[in-house]
Amino acid sequence: MNDTIITFDRVSKIYPSGGGPVTALSDVSLHITAGEFIALIGPSGCGKSTLMRLIGDLEQPSSGALAVCGKSAAQARRDRDYGIVFQSPVLYDWRTISKNVELPLEIMGHATAERTARARDLLKLVGLQDFGDAYPHQLSGGMQQRAAIARALSFAPKVLLMDEPFGALDEITRERLQIELLNIWSTSEPRSTVIFVTHSIPEAVFLADRVVVMSPRPGRIDQIIPIDLPRPRTFATREAAAFFALATQVRAALRHTEGE
Amino acid sequence: MNQTPAPRVIHPVLRRALPVVGVVLALLALWEGSKFVFGFSDQRLPHLSAIGETLFSRTQGGSGNLLIVQMSLNAWATFRVAAGGFLIGGLLGFGLAVLFDQFAPLEAGLMPFVIGSQTVPILAIAPMVVVGFGQLGAAPWIAKVMIAAYLTFFPVTIGMLRGLRAAAPASRDLLRSYAANRWQVFRKLQLPAALPYLFTSLKIAASASVIGAIVAELPAGAREGIGVMLLNAAQFYNSRPPALYAAVLVAALLGVVCYGLVAIAEALVVGGRRAN
Repeated sequence: MNDTIITFDRVSKIYPSGGGPVTALSDVSLHITAGEFIALIGPSGCGKSTLMRLIGDLEQPSSGALAVCGKSAAQARRDRDYGIVFQSPVLYDWRTISKNVELPLEIMGHATAERTARARDLLKLVGLQDFGDAYPHQLSGGMQQRAAIARALSFAPKVLLMDEPFGALDEITRERLQIELLNIWSTSEPRSTVIFVTHSIPEAVFLADRVVVMSPRPGRIDQIIPIDLPRPRTFATREAAAFFALATQVRAALRHTEGE
Repeated sequence: MNQTPAPRVIHPVLRRALPVVGVVLALLALWEGSKFVFGFSDQRLPHLSAIGETLFSRTQGGSGNLLIVQMSLNAWATFRVAAGGFLIGGLLGFGLAVLFDQFAPLEAGLMPFVIGSQTVPILAIAPMVVVGFGQLGAAPWIAKVMIAAYLTFFPVTIGMLRGLRAAAPASRDLLRSYAANRWQVFRKLQLPAALPYLFTSLKIAASASVIGAIVAELPAGAREGIGVMLLNAAQFYNSRPPALYAAVLVAALLGVVCYGLVAIAEALVVGGRRAN
């Protein structure tokens, strides 16, 4: 089962700006296999978020070819092939947590009974079963982000796009959510493909099958580092020698991006 | 035994009412105090007691209603006009904001006229509208409602338009990722996100509609309304100053009531909400 689900073929993205065009992504080629967990890492301005937003058809490439699930990114979006999680939870503050999780199903026209049942299951999955009737402001940042993940999973998308989802959380919450995310991902059937943008080296190494190291000005892929740590990964994984070796390797690659 | 005394609990209604009562008492003291200190004549600043007496005196040389009853009835007439204007102006403002948001060229083309409409003094337009509608054979209240609506729609247009664009870009991206259509974006995101802005503008519109209704009662021919009372009292100010103060007081109270009604509606609709 080695199907390619996302293909970037010499993709560039150029933004017009007052001081002349800015190249956010230059000549990016990347193949992502179905079920893979990919971490995108790099300093700010390296285009890692742009790359993710291109997959989501939230922005369009200036040149090159991009295929998502064997079709255009726009078609994949219309077919609801991906779910997205942002750095902030982006919960609608006039909806309860449960209603927030149901939002995509509402848009997609699922029946009420099905929606509530699905929301209940997902809230249980992310440990928020007692907070369905709460409003977002009544929850901590970590709980809000859990709700955002539940919302993205609610319609079982093939691809999960995550843009620094744990970036605003404290270290303890962050490490716990990383393990929860891996549990959810590894038990999903069929296993979804995850594109995870981060600026944390340990986070990238802990989560990913491959870490894509990007460099800025212009944004491009510098190196792709396979992470062959065994799964399931646990708290002990972070203390393994292999983990440190890989983190060091990613760190060196990142330093290399700024070195010249 | 060392018992701690039970903490004093002030009833929430009382806690909200106390500052208002305090300010009213302070204003009354300031009024009478400045009269005492600066020696304003009763002609320029009547005693509060004189205003009170006037409010509870009988009209038409002793055979009519209490003045306060007469004024309240007139205020009720003004309220009906203001409410009609508020409703029509509110709907118009809401509709314009939605149109402007959905069709950008409409905003570019029409917004200058919307703004221009508000720079023309309402006092200049009111007689034209009253006479114009009169010649068309429309009932007098229609012209008054139109003038109130004219003052009402503008803050609603501006506030609602701002509200429709208040949603964070990420919350729009989210709906885009679900391939939501325009109507769904409006219904599920823009409208609920706009409600706090809408109510803020409706509060401004509520007092504006009262002003519009009063101004509409000023042109000759109007028979009822607090505007008519104001005009009458102003004409007889020299002989009976407290009457004008009484009329102003009733007009101000009417504005406060209208504002309060919108505030209650707001609390019911968006009360429990809090921004993240």
